[in-house]
Amino acid sequence: MRPTAAGVTRALGLVAVLAVVGLLPWLSGRDPALTVLRARSAEQEPTEEALHAVRRDLGLDAGPLSLLGDWAFGLLRGDLGTSWVSGTDVMPSVASGLQVSLGLMAAALGVAVLLAVALVAPVVVRGRGSAGAFAAMAAALPEFLLATVGLLVCGVWLGWLPTSGWQGPEHLVLPAVALGVPAGGLLGRLVADALPAVLEERWVELWRGAGASRARVTAAALRRVLPPLVPQFGMVAVGLTGGAVAVETVFAVPGIGRTALGAARSQDLPLLQGAVLALLALGLVTGALAALVRRRLLGPALRDAGLALPPPRPVRAHPAVPAALAVVLLAAIGWGLLRDPYAVDTAVRLAPPSWANPLGTDGLGRDVLARLGHGAASTVGTATAVCLLSLAVGLALGFLPGAAAGAADIANALPPVIVGILVAAVAGPGTGGAALAVALVSWPPLAAHAAALVQEVRASAFLTAQRAIGASPLWILTRHVLPSVAAPVARHALLRLPGIALALASLGFLGLGAQPPAPEWGLLLDESRAYVERAPWAALAPAVALALLAGLAVSGAAYAQGRGARRAGRPPRRTVPAPRKEAADAVRGTAVGV
Amino acid sequence: MTDPLLDVRGLVVRYGPVTAVDHVSFTLDAGETLALDGPSGCGKSSTALAVLQLRRPHAGRVRFEGRELTSLTDRELRPLRPRMQPVFQDPYGSLSPRHRIRDAVAEPLKAQGRWNADDGPARVAELLEKVGLDPSSGDRRPHELSGGQCQRAGIARALACEPRLLVLDEPVSALDASVRAGVLNLLADLQDELGLGYLFICHDRAVVRHVADRVIEMREGRITSEWRPR
Repeated sequence: MRPTAAGVTRALGLVAVLAVVGLLPWLSGRDPALTVLRARSAEQEPTEEALHAVRRDLGLDAGPLSLLGDWAFGLLRGDLGTSWVSGTDVMPSVASGLQVSLGLMAAALGVAVLLAVALVAPVVVRGRGSAGAFAAMAAALPEFLLATVGLLVCGVWLGWLPTSGWQGPEHLVLPAVALGVPAGGLLGRLVADALPAVLEERWVELWRGAGASRARVTAAALRRVLPPLVPQFGMVAVGLTGGAVAVETVFAVPGIGRTALGAARSQDLPLLQGAVLALLALGLVTGALAALVRRRLLGPALRDAGLALPPPRPVRAHPAVPAALAVVLLAAIGWGLLRDPYAVDTAVRLAPPSWANPLGTDGLGRDVLARLGHGAASTVGTATAVCLLSLAVGLALGFLPGAAAGAADIANALPPVIVGILVAAVAGPGTGGAALAVALVSWPPLAAHAAALVQEVRASAFLTAQRAIGASPLWILTRHVLPSVAAPVARHALLRLPGIALALASLGFLGLGAQPPAPEWGLLLDESRAYVERAPWAALAPAVALALLAGLAVSGAAYAQGRGARRAGRPPRRTVPAPRKEAADAVRGTAVGV
Repeated sequence: MTDPLLDVRGLVVRYGPVTAVDHVSFTLDAGETLALDGPSGCGKSSTALAVLQLRRPHAGRVRFEGRELTSLTDRELRPLRPRMQPVFQDPYGSLSPRHRIRDAVAEPLKAQGRWNADDGPARVAELLEKVGLDPSSGDRRPHELSGGQCQRAGIARALACEPRLLVLDEPVSALDASVRAGVLNLLADLQDELGLGYLFICHDRAVVRHVADRVIEMREGRITSEWRPR
């Protein structure tokens, strides 16, 4: 088999990711010898001699290539090295963490399937309709937000369920729900939106006319819907590995995600390498499984294009919904921006909402509204930069669809959280690192959209006519190709802005993004968890703001989708872009992107 | 005897293993209409694209106004391209949906560096009038025009290049019968006025008889016969 461009870049991408993991100790640049020495014996003086001994012990003085070689060789023998902090083998920690995470993910998948069935059932019964706003909202809510709210409501206020640890089945409930609800919302939505259009296809009429029972028609329709959606299910599985990091952290579940995050924070790079490798393997294996299932369902003879789904009928949103959400958010942000987010007033710590502090104060007596407003400015600013960066990358790679497809496969298999952990391990946690991490994985849908448009424009007769008048390639590119491609892809990128902001917030929440005392939304939510019993409003404010942002993402995309459908329905106009697709992608992206 | 306007010798075009055009040769003089006739898939359009050098032929020579085109690089070819212009079958597809008719007609002048802010707009108006379009249609976009109007705009755009040869790839097949006659008459008038050579691809026998001076029949990439309608 001849290697394709996609195959080559996929292999290169995989090797690059593995090399980054393998070279972490060298890439991080900072001298870990000091960390290790402190961790091993707090009393020992950090003399040059002692540090040198540690470096030799860790093999850090040998240079990057030998480091990578040793790591890869150890990997082949199943040896992941020794923890710098505890001095024990990494393998058992990774194995036990993986075991716990797999249990959690299985439970979450159960929750997801139950929720998806509940969402699809009414559509199956009525034969029309769609999953509706609830599913879209469930799919857009980030796991860390659901986990925090679940912990607050069911664990702390109602006291029904334990909030941390991993001792019995009751410990499984809250984490599994927090992890499973977004996945289930997405799964249910995908199937429920595709089903009505399939039930309107000709063969259904024919089967009914031939006297096939309702159950048989429904079963056949479901079998028709599932194979084209399997790649999306693979994305859901990848989203679960990313979400697990946040959920395990919130509920103190000793899984692989929490292990990875802890290792990144304590600079225990061998343990981090092992844990990240396990998470990557989990993502790749589920992706491969999804491909296998798809092939089983389709049969080897059918080509992918042969079973494309009819476009789902769009869920229309009244423009007032996104407008109202935007106004509420902007008003709160604008008000907050006028106030000082850093002013510490220990006399009014954890004060309830009042006229002086409309949303109360936090543990240091800082005004929550001010921190919310300033946090939004920095989060949205960073998200805009990320958006522009991924737009530029997406447009550039749209002209190299073969090469981009392979790299996109790798980027799609990497949840932002894991990239965030890697970037933070290399460069230290910070806003720039978090932005880079999100940008690294948020370009593939934009590149795919750009590639489709470039292909469409290049195939059109008017481009041939351009060459015929003697126009130069640069003229054709700047006057015709780029304008046709850039505008719809830029709109698509704009729709992804709230999703990107949520991904940034989730990194902030995990301590991988903006650092205290910066007022970042994810960070605000994380800080408020410490005193959630005494000052629930401090936790509630960022949670509500994040939920509003998710709502804005969903309703904005649905509105654009409905508008696109109306425009496409107008007869003579030949619309080059496919806004429906981009909006649908954006809705999915908000869920997968976190 | 002077050189013919277009002299094609042994033209071969392949798509992978398929040979679409198999050693096709013909000549075309200025002021003459040569029709290429044949069933769909016989290589007519591939011949047209290869003559225009929009798809480089695998073998053979294309001599246009006494110059050999096949050996030229893309860059060397660019200044010569305006001299031979295509008109396509789909009147909407050959104009950018994003641009106004006025800009589409002005674009060849701009792309070739011949645009002049003083008399450029007047030249565009003159071209629109020449193809029988109302000057106000210059402000429209292609989807706001009828198929016949669009095809006229496409012809105006080709004329802006001041060509000697028009390669007309089924220019009226997508049009209604009444509109078709109007466009064919326009093409005949332009030929009389400007002395253009037409390579006219068409598989409508009635149209071919009406417009062509000579007809070449093609089948499976080869020329099978040549005849004169009058």
